[in-house]
This record gives sequence, C-alpha cells and structure tokens, in this order.
Amino acid sequence: MANVILKNLVKRFNAVTAVDNLSIEIHDREFAVLVGPSGCGKTTALRMIAGLETITSGEIFIGDTLVNDMAPKDRDIAMVFQNYALYPHMNVRDNLGFGLKIRKFPQEEIDSRVQEAADILGIQELLDRKPKELSGGQRQRVAVGRAIVRKPKVFLFDEPLSNLDAKLRVAMRAEISKLHRRLGATIIYVTHDQVEAMTMADRIFIMHNGALQQTGMPLEVYGQPANRFVAGFIGSPAMNFIEAALVRDAGAWFIDAGGFRVRAPEAFYARLEPHAGRPVIFGVRPEDMAAHDPAAGAGDGNTVKARADVVETLGSEIFVYLTCGAHSVVARMEAPERPLTVGQTLEVDLKMVKTHIFDKETSRTIV
Amino acid sequence: MIAMNRALSAISRFVNRRQAFFFPAPAVAVLFLIIVLPIAFNLYLTFTKWTIGLGEPRFIGLANFVELFGDERVWNGVKVMVYFSGASLALELALGLMIALYFNRAFKGNELVQAIYIIPFAATPVAVALIWRIMLNPEIGVLNYLLTSVGLPPSLWVSSAQAVVPTLVMVDVWKWTPMITLIVLAGLKSLPQDPFEAARIDGANALQIFWYITLPLIRPVLIAALMLRSLDNLKEFDMIYTITQGGPGIASETLYLYSYNVGFSFFKAGYGSALMVVVFMIVLVFNVVMNRLRRDAPAV
Repeated sequence: MANVILKNLVKRFNAVTAVDNLSIEIHDREFAVLVGPSGCGKTTALRMIAGLETITSGEIFIGDTLVNDMAPKDRDIAMVFQNYALYPHMNVRDNLGFGLKIRKFPQEEIDSRVQEAADILGIQELLDRKPKELSGGQRQRVAVGRAIVRKPKVFLFDEPLSNLDAKLRVAMRAEISKLHRRLGATIIYVTHDQVEAMTMADRIFIMHNGALQQTGMPLEVYGQPANRFVAGFIGSPAMNFIEAALVRDAGAWFIDAGGFRVRAPEAFYARLEPHAGRPVIFGVRPEDMAAHDPAAGAGDGNTVKARADVVETLGSEIFVYLTCGAHSVVARMEAPERPLTVGQTLEVDLKMVKTHIFDKETSRTIV
Repeated sequence: MIAMNRALSAISRFVNRRQAFFFPAPAVAVLFLIIVLPIAFNLYLTFTKWTIGLGEPRFIGLANFVELFGDERVWNGVKVMVYFSGASLALELALGLMIALYFNRAFKGNELVQAIYIIPFAATPVAVALIWRIMLNPEIGVLNYLLTSVGLPPSLWVSSAQAVVPTLVMVDVWKWTPMITLIVLAGLKSLPQDPFEAARIDGANALQIFWYITLPLIRPVLIAALMLRSLDNLKEFDMIYTITQGGPGIASETLYLYSYNVGFSFFKAGYGSALMVVVFMIVLVFNVVMNRLRRDAPAV
C-alpha cells in the first residue's frame, strides 16, 4: 500500500489543457474520489497515474517512487475500466489470472488468488464463462476481481459504475466501499456522479476545467463549498443561485434579491463587510427551504412568498419548483399532509445559517 | 372497350398478387442463363468425352475421374498448387499482419505511405504480370541487373524449374499483401482499446500483448482475409499464365492452369471439366475448413 502524490501535473492535448497544474496528495489506504463534470480532466489525471497517458509536465509519486517514466506494468497499480475491458476471448478464470500469469506466478498461487477473489466477489460459479455470457454487473465484478488478484499498491477506478443500471449501481457502491475496508488499499476513484463521491469517499477532490476546485471530506465540501462551482456540483437537486445585493439597514445586513429580501444571520456580518454594495450570488440548498409553519408565528423575517409551479412527489418528500419574485428555485420538502396544488402561493422559510453567499465576479465563497 | 379494361385489370390483379414471383423473374432468368446453366453443362461434360469441334459429347460415365488419378500432370498440378498457394498465402498473411500492425500506429506520413503501399494491389493483374515478365528476364531484366550490380550472382528466375515457383510467389506476395494489410488494418482499428490498456497494466510487454491479446482478437479477421484471398489464389491464373504459361516445362503449371490447358489448348472439354470440378472441390473444402475455424474464434 502507498500514498500517491501529484505535483503540478499538467496534460495538454495540442491546444487543449486537460489537466491544469494539479497538485494533490492521496494518503495511504485512503478512498479518494476525483469528481467533476465530463471533460474536467479527472479521467486524464487517472490515466496519467496509471501510465496510460504521457505527462506534459509535473511529477507523480507512488509510494516514494517517481513514476513519470515508468511503464504501467512497473507501477504496481491495478485499474478497473468504465467498459470493464475484459479480455473477450478468455474465460473469467483466465481474465482474473492473466496479470499473474504474465508475471510468472506459480500456477498454485494463481489458482488460490483467483479463488480468493472469486469468493470475495461471489463469482465462483462464473469462472468458466466468457465475458459475453455475463451481465453488466457480473462483468464489473470480474473487472474488480482482476484488480484484486494482483494485490497492487494502488487501485484505480475509472467511472466503474456508470454503465450499470441505477439499482445495481447502488448495490455495487456499497460493495466497493466494503471491499475498500476489507483490503485496506489505497483507492483512487474517478466519477462524474456526486452521489458516488459523497457516499464512498474518505476525501473528495472536485475538479473543473482541468483544475482542482476543492479537497475535503464529503460533508466538508457539502457544508463549506469553496466556490460557486463546488456548491452547485455537490448536492442533488443542485443549490439554487439567486443574484442579489448586500444591503445594510439599521445595523443589520440584508440580502436583497429584488422581489424578496431576507436578513443575514449575525454570524455572517464580519465576512459581508468588505462586500457591501457589491453584486453577490445568494445560494440556498433545496433542502434548506421548508414550508412555513403558521403555528410558529411570524418567524425571523426569513419567510418568503412563492408560487408553486411544478410539484414532484417522491413519496416521503417532494420537490417543489417555485417562483420567488423574479427567481425560479427548487425546494426539497417533507410531503405535506394536504398536497400542494400547482399555482398555489405558499410561504417558505429559509434556514439562513445554512445559506451561502458567493462573490459574483470571482465565484468565490464569501460565507 | 369495357371488355379490354376488364381484361387489363384482371391481369394487373394477377401480377399484383404474385409480385414476389414477377419482380425478380428477369434477374432470376439471367442468372440461370449465365450461372446455373453453364455449371450444369460443365457437370454434364465431366461424364463425357468431347473434343470441341469434333462431333457430339459422348457419355463415358466416371472414366474422366478415373483417368485423372493416373495423370502425372494432375499430380504435378496439385503439387505446384500446394507449393505456390501454401507459400504465397502464408507469406501474405504474415507480412500483411506485420505491416498492418505497423500502420496501426500513429506516425507522420502514415496515410501517404499507406496510399503508396496499396498501389500494387490496385494495379491491373495482367499489366503487372507483363511488367514483371520483362523485369524477370535473365538477360535484359532489371532484377538481374540489380543483383549483379551489388555483386550477387544472377538468377534464372522463371526460366529455371527450381526458381520459378518461388519467383511467382514473390510476385503474388508483392501484389496481394496490401489487400491482406487493408483487411487486417480495418480489423485492428475496430478492436476495442480497453483490453490492450488493461493488458499493459496487467504487466504484459509488447510481444505478450501481441500473442495473448491482439492475435486472438484479430483471428476471425485473419481467417476472413485468408478465405477471401484463397478464392483467387487457389485458382491464380492471369499472373502465372502471363509470366510463364506454366513453364518451364510444367514446373509452374498449377492444377487450374492444367485444366485450362486441357480444355482450351487441347480442346478436351470433358476431361477439362472434370479437372475444374476437382479444383472447385479443393477450394470448397479449404473454405469450409477455414469457416469452421472462424466460427470457433471468439466473438469480440
């Protein structure tokens, strides 16, 4: 097992910079998830770690070894590909054992390791089948098994679940997490799915346009996003962004979105000071909005009037698409006893301490 | 007038209901005339003795087939055929694969080199053969000029019974390897890239990747290319006939060439037809075997 360090890593394809000065350190035995939208450079970064892509500049260390010029086979890594990349002409047993056979392991060792991996993944009865005789989920297991038998220092996963159906994806998510605990291995996992990132990662590395946006534990990046991109990327449905101005009135700070005005919590005041009068983006997560409870009285002045345009019922909760003044927002609420009707006007409470304010120009987080 | 209209509509209804018969009928008739009839006539001739221009075909049963077993030129023809086809097909396949692997990598000028490389394949067979015949001439040919100019002894090429088949193999390989290359290259380009990357990570070197991954995956394409090429190669005619006419003596007379000579030089149509049927059986058996091999290959 080993840590992985990327130092000022750059990858250019002609004029396009796919990975832009990426510096990260992944700890030994850590489950690190590189997440970002398509084209953010996460897969390219992973392929550079694997040695499948040349490095334009920068350094990659696995353990204490600089691997820049090392062939993939000498890096002691294993990779699970998005399309499984099984050898179509070999049965499952040979697929699993290929890496060991090539490395001239004795046959008994190969057999026992293949058996062990098959036991872990529950694919014992598939060993004599060809990949084309397997379902997507089974192929995925074989692909993972092929990585396990090698007992590498580092496991690389390249969007391994994106070809599976939703139900299977949830199940495999849990299995890979379990596998990580069992193997105690360093895992670098690339995905565009923030749910996978949130549920599986020890630490999340969020990338955008080739550059690292934020690093942190899942709840950190959810609770304290470094910028507007991270705030919008993590969380589902995505955070609502509303253009607003900061206004000071009678010693208090208000967020004026034109059409509605809410009062900022006192804890925000110090950070808002330098941005007085400047345009900002007010960010509210759908889950931080709730229907106003009349029994609670007038509230703290953070209740806004809104019109329900669309109501999506998920069972225990609902997504309500609201119009607030000139702004459209989504709220995620508990399903009310009396169903909301489209066009109905309702009062919505904002949990102000959980909201965020971003600099409109730089997109950086102010609060 | 009314009666005629009625008749016309009856006809059109009749045709309409039997579209599946009437529409392909002209094509079927032509195919029957140019394919089925000649083949049937050929089969009929195999049971006859008939010298073209001298009387009617005379039925002699299986005598032609009995005769060919004792015909030394038949056995010579089989030997030359196996020698020529075995050597040229093996070389074309091996070289075609190697060159396809080379072209399957990105390098500057790749497309230009490929375009130049396929010219022999694109050229007209008889024209090419005529040029080769001149180049191979022991006295005035450019090949011997080149050999002697670098201090090597000249060769008799197609004038020597020993050198003639290898020389024809050389010309055939020169002309047809590009075709195999094109087919194999198309196959290589259609292979999924992931397994190759997985193999690199699994620890395979270039040779191991070729042996364990590329070759098994490309096998169906190789066999398909071999089948396609063998159809022409086993009955190679233009090139051999133009350059050697089967000579010197019968040193380059394949079974196919011999059957042509029997039919159209000696005008023994019955015996010639029997020989053609044997050639056909050889081509058929070869391709049935190859097709088996192809179907047993893994689907990618």
